[in-house]
Amino acid sequence: MKNRRIMPNSKGAAPLDVVIAVMAFLAALALGASLIAQHAADSWSAGLSGKITVQILPASTGAARDGLAAETEAALAVLRGTPGIVRATPLTEAEQLKLVQPWLGAEALVAELPLPQLIDADIAPGSVLDMDALARHLKSAAPHAVLDDHSHWINRLRDLAQTLVWSAYGVLFLIAVATASIVAFATRAGLDAHNDMVSLLHQMGAQAGFIARVFEGHYFRAALTAAGAGAATAAAIFLAAGGLQSVGYEAVPFLPPLSVKPIELLWMLAVPAAASLIALVTARVSVLAALRQIH
Amino acid sequence: MVRFENVGMRYGAGPEVLRDVTFVLESGSFTFLTGLSGAGKTTLLKLISVAEPPSRGLITLFGHDLATAKRSTLPGLRRRIGVVFQDFRLLDHLSAFDNVALPLRIAGRKESEYARDVEELLVWVGLGDRMNAIPPTLSGGEQQRVAIARAVVAKPDLLVADEPTGNVDPEIGARLIRLFAELNRLGTTVLIATHDRALVESTRAREMRLVDGRLVELRMSRP
Ligand SMILES: Nc1ncnc2c1ncn2[C@@H]1O[C@H](COP(=O)(O)OP(=O)(O)O)[C@@H](O)[C@H]1O
Ligand SMILES: [Mg+2]
Repeated sequence: MKNRRIMPNSKGAAPLDVVIAVMAFLAALALGASLIAQHAADSWSAGLSGKITVQILPASTGAARDGLAAETEAALAVLRGTPGIVRATPLTEAEQLKLVQPWLGAEALVAELPLPQLIDADIAPGSVLDMDALARHLKSAAPHAVLDDHSHWINRLRDLAQTLVWSAYGVLFLIAVATASIVAFATRAGLDAHNDMVSLLHQMGAQAGFIARVFEGHYFRAALTAAGAGAATAAAIFLAAGGLQSVGYEAVPFLPPLSVKPIELLWMLAVPAAASLIALVTARVSVLAALRQIH
Repeated sequence: MVRFENVGMRYGAGPEVLRDVTFVLESGSFTFLTGLSGAGKTTLLKLISVAEPPSRGLITLFGHDLATAKRSTLPGLRRRIGVVFQDFRLLDHLSAFDNVALPLRIAGRKESEYARDVEELLVWVGLGDRMNAIPPTLSGGEQQRVAIARAVVAKPDLLVADEPTGNVDPEIGARLIRLFAELNRLGTTVLIATHDRALVESTRAREMRLVDGRLVELRMSRP
């Protein structure tokens, strides 16, 4: 025979269980969102746009076209001579016209405009370029060259992703605080409901710690079960979303994959662990505080 | 073992329920506390069992002055006292066995150590076949015997019982008194509140009577 629990089991799912399960579900979603945003931030901050663009601006006066062609050649030489750059090609006139067409139209007039020459270059995956040095080299070879490594956009996307990560942490913190408050409330209600039991144990000489263990064990088990159910539901949703993407449903084409790796779903275990710990500590603190009021 | 000096007790702003109560319970003594209903017997037992602090006066228990004793010493003192409550105060969701075992669990003992003692005690109070029943399925008299078994199971230094034979027929009552006497013989100091004259007359024990909140010594125990 093993020791029966002194605290009676409540029948069916108590409101507290439901609230904790929902809280855990939301916490697991926030956790998953933070993982996804972190992936995005990581891939963007690794500079993996993989592309740079060089513009050779037309000189405002004089024999613009000749200068432009010479500077384009010089810039191409610099780019092709830079380790880490695997390809550098100037855009043809047709390609360039296609680029400006949405803004300027396809009129003949456009051909007369002094358009800059664009050079497209690819960076070898994994290699990191010193953009400042490259820009200086380009400037000295081709005075009208302007280097654009898209870092402006990339940095903004990365900052956005990083903000999402911190927001998710903030949400997790708020959920933890809310869970603690709910458990504190439930514990006090439980103490009232089981006032007979508490005063009996107290009269029999039970230490405050003994009585606290009766309650904290109860709320620990309740939170573990309820939060486990909530987190498992969220994990199932992430798994399903990952499954959809692997069969070709892409959420947004140019974003990194919006899924959590199956191994990362192990993080979801942290949710019931944290919830049950929060419940245990909160219940203990509330019970000990309440017991200090008794003679 | 227990010393009351000029102890007074009132609930809130109510009248004094106990007035200038002074007495000593010697270690190993057996005493009846009698008095009409409402005389203050239960209140006096509450003061002895450290359930309530007195409004005034001095209570010394096991050599500790309760007014100055540290809060942390009180649970230890309470554990040396077995209490049979007038209203039993059993936990309805625990079996008779688990109710009786509760003081031992509180004392940190393991079930493997105490299971036999608890079973033997339940057999002794005539509940050998009701060990796994929960209190709501027991008769009043059976509940009372569970409450008594729970009070004595840890072999307390002091046993206080509030009307412990109130709900049982005389035969069982006599049996319970024998249980208390046996416990007393083993060294436990016993104080029993009752208005059962026959019970008091059946023994030669000391009798203290509460009249109007004051204590009247009626009979010193005779050897
Ligand atoms: N918790 C309480 N609050 C207020 N008055 C009480 C309380 N308990 C007992 N009394 C009063 O104290 C008096 C003595 O009660 P009690 O000690 O229960 O007497 P007895 O056990 O001898 O019947 C009664 O008048 C009762 O109404
Ligand atoms: Mg009474």
